[in-house]
Amino acid sequence: MTAAAAPWLLAGIPLAGALLSLFAWANAARLRTSAVLVSAITFGAAIGLTGRLASPPEGALLLYLLPVAACVSLLGQPLHHDHRLSWVATLLLLGLGLGVLALPTIGGPLFLMLLLGCLIALLYRYHTPLWPISWLGIGTYGFGAMCAAVSMIAARPFSAAASLLACATLLPLVPFHEGHVTSITRLPGSLPSFIVLLLPALGLHGLAAVLPAAPGPIAWIVTLLAMAGSLYGAVKALAQSRVRLLLAYGSLSFFSMVWWFAASAGHATSQASVFIGAAGFATSGLLLAWQVIRTRYGDDVDPQAISGLAFTMPRYAVLLSLLALAAMGLPPFGVFAAFMGLFLNTPISSALGPFIMLLAWLTASWYVMRMAQQLLFGTRRSDLRYADLIHTEFASLFIVVLVLLALGVTPSNLFAPARNAPSATMDSIAWQK
Amino acid sequence: MPFVILVPFLPLLAAVIVVTGGVRSRQARARLAAWPMGAAFCGAVAMLYVVATEGPITIRFYDPASLASLAVRLGFYIDRLSAVMMVLISAVGTIIYTYSIGYMHQDPHEHRYLALIGFTTCVLLCMVSSANLVMLFVFWQLLSYLLYLLAHNHAHAATLAGAYRTFTLLRVGDAAFLAGIILAYSLYGTLEFPALFTKAVAAPVMLSPAPGWEINGATAVTLLLFIGGMSKSAQFPMHVWLPRSLYAPTPVHALLHAGIINAGGFLINRLAPLFGLSSTTLHVAFVVGTMTAILGAAMMLAQNDIKKTLGFSTIGQMGYMIMECGLGAFSLAVFHLIAHGLFKATVFLNCGNVIHKARHEPHFPDPGHQQEQEGFSRLTWLTGFLTTLFIPLLILLLTHGALHIPLLETQGTVIFLFFIWVTSSQAILTLTRLRAVASWKVSAAMLLTLLFIVFVYLFAVESFTAFLYPDPQQVASFFQTAALPSGLFDAMIVISTLMTIAGWTYLYMTAHGRTMRTPRWLDGLKIRLYVLFMNRLYADELYELLGDVAMRLIHRFDKRKQGWSQ
Repeated sequence: MTAAAAPWLLAGIPLAGALLSLFAWANAARLRTSAVLVSAITFGAAIGLTGRLASPPEGALLLYLLPVAACVSLLGQPLHHDHRLSWVATLLLLGLGLGVLALPTIGGPLFLMLLLGCLIALLYRYHTPLWPISWLGIGTYGFGAMCAAVSMIAARPFSAAASLLACATLLPLVPFHEGHVTSITRLPGSLPSFIVLLLPALGLHGLAAVLPAAPGPIAWIVTLLAMAGSLYGAVKALAQSRVRLLLAYGSLSFFSMVWWFAASAGHATSQASVFIGAAGFATSGLLLAWQVIRTRYGDDVDPQAISGLAFTMPRYAVLLSLLALAAMGLPPFGVFAAFMGLFLNTPISSALGPFIMLLAWLTASWYVMRMAQQLLFGTRRSDLRYADLIHTEFASLFIVVLVLLALGVTPSNLFAPARNAPSATMDSIAWQK
Repeated sequence: MPFVILVPFLPLLAAVIVVTGGVRSRQARARLAAWPMGAAFCGAVAMLYVVATEGPITIRFYDPASLASLAVRLGFYIDRLSAVMMVLISAVGTIIYTYSIGYMHQDPHEHRYLALIGFTTCVLLCMVSSANLVMLFVFWQLLSYLLYLLAHNHAHAATLAGAYRTFTLLRVGDAAFLAGIILAYSLYGTLEFPALFTKAVAAPVMLSPAPGWEINGATAVTLLLFIGGMSKSAQFPMHVWLPRSLYAPTPVHALLHAGIINAGGFLINRLAPLFGLSSTTLHVAFVVGTMTAILGAAMMLAQNDIKKTLGFSTIGQMGYMIMECGLGAFSLAVFHLIAHGLFKATVFLNCGNVIHKARHEPHFPDPGHQQEQEGFSRLTWLTGFLTTLFIPLLILLLTHGALHIPLLETQGTVIFLFFIWVTSSQAILTLTRLRAVASWKVSAAMLLTLLFIVFVYLFAVESFTAFLYPDPQQVASFFQTAALPSGLFDAMIVISTLMTIAGWTYLYMTAHGRTMRTPRWLDGLKIRLYVLFMNRLYADELYELLGDVAMRLIHRFDKRKQGWSQ
């Protein structure tokens, strides 16, 4: 197989899987099993094809993590007919996402536009009285798709600026974060827990290509927006009582940190991809854990109304505690390791930036802990029926914890791009003629 | 030295033994797990011997020359300080674990609790034997979370609220600690202890955080790290978490007050060469420690709950420990934390029995008991005067005159002498309470107390300091860095002396049944201060108010921006 065919094969497996899974549409159990299998095969393919793929500037880690995220997102869902579209859409988005990451030339932006188009359609399709339609979110993704198109056709430096703006809609950066918040809160089934890793991964991929050549003022603006976003996300997360909003804003706060580190260092390192992977996986795990509660007590359940799960659902309690630890940035999980790594390898020019990053990191200990505490501890309610995790839910959360642990203890240079490998950096992205 | 690695992980093995297995074998496993805990103690003692005779042990599972590719760089650096701490922790851990087997018997979550005790001991041992600042920080943070878990009874609302506040407050300290690490790495390019100290000494750096304001790099780093230490060692104003954790099981208190809370003192000692470069940080430590000692002791006196009383007593003692560090007496601080740890662990492990006994066996005075006749005793008072005022003064003069130690130039010696005096006075007052009993036994007890304290301090000054810090020049340099302006130092000594003498006078007059004429405003102030200290300076309420205000502002901000997210 030639190196040119490898990215198409990698993107093609989940796309073909999505198409084939339609044959099992009538049987939800078979559909989910086939979707899980396809994502597992994609993971194997990503590992097998590593040597034939162009090495992304941020490293190949995210290529491996995306199929795993899809797999755990699918595993963690209850068997219900209503979720079938979300399972197929997960495979579809996985294929498009891998295409964006693996295809070095014009194919990447094309796949990105398609992916954003799918997301817009899904956001338009899914809304409930609890989560009404968000035109702002749809508009943000539309803007992102437009920027991706402009980056393909415009001359320099407009293409680079458009590419950076597209990145800001994917890897959420204030004020282009509304798509991120909307997709996590509105989308059904397996999609939020997958998208929370997919889109930031694609954003980082674009950022790694566009940022090294960014002029000083642009980097300065990005730094300011990243600081504002990190603080804004943390403050908003503190105010939320609805779990999905809390996680959306909490992840916004963490993803904004990546912008700050990247802008301060002038490039996105492999540690940034570890951070994206870890923060994305931690949020994904918490969304899956919340899905467990929604499955048992309904979508509109108030977390304050559930308590005492530590005594009645011990397996769930242990996994949720570990996920909360990871999301708070505590060791030995990946968020902490990558956060430390980024800080130790980023040149610091002023005290304000690190202060805000540390404040956002610290704030996570308050809102994540509060959320986990509300669910796990307190008195047991006798009027509630408690049922611990079923096998698929357990497997899903357990894999997430294992991945987070692996990201925390594995040396980050293992994920660094190979020095002699062909680079996937888009040549068109340059700020000066 | 493979057994070196075993020592921190034996308590972890104990935790694993406790949690793995069925319900029927739970009690047997709990007892079995006590053996690895005990083995850890024996290993720690053996390690202390090896380290004392053969020098520090360094084991690294990473390449220190490589850039931060591994965020968590595991390794062990065990010098005499680490070994001493490991002996203390493993001893206290073993005693508490063994005690807990009986104490928590039939508790539905006994196995979880015992496993947490084992795991906490493991974390503490790893923390004190860390090879670098990052590893120390990793275990430092885990300790913050473990303190949350060790509250144990999370179904109880007050326990849960206390545990949450403890965690959130400790995380503030953790954030400052992390800031210190980042700054240290950016300034010196390493986080390995010996290399960090060498570079900090070799290349002093000046920072300019704002125009016209310059700060020494070592000062900035140590101040940030000190905030981290303040939170763990419950220093004012970050002390509020300790009294709030009173709902935890009593053995947890023993572990907390004897082991975990010493983390701040250990941190400063671990980084003594770095702290020894910054007079500013040491002076800040002195001020914070002094305030904590005074306020902690004052609040302790006004509490009416035994656990709270002991909690504030610990805060006061931790204040002393930090104050000693601030004066440059690092080894004295370690000595203090060991003595206090053992004492407080004993008290906590015993206080449950006392309460239990008092509840179940109400004590009535023995009808045949003959009250000792109280009266003014010349013998007792003369001995008291000699032991607490005359002999210390004599020692001071002898040291100055006969031994030709330049006391006025060496604050360190004065500090040690002063501590001997204050401690012996406090011990004599506490032990005898000057009940004016005309007995030679009381006089003998006073003399023995003084002798005991003098010898203990001599040991602390000479042997223990030489053991922990074999280089006398280094010890002298700590004192020099910590030296206060001579006028201030003299004033403090004079004020403390006057206060001690005033205390004696007050007690003397009380013993004679005399009253002191005090102005009315002073009486009012005494009552107001009592109420203030009884309510713990309203610090809890203040923190709650601040939290409420912050959350109200956040919610107001959220409501204004809600249109965006809907």
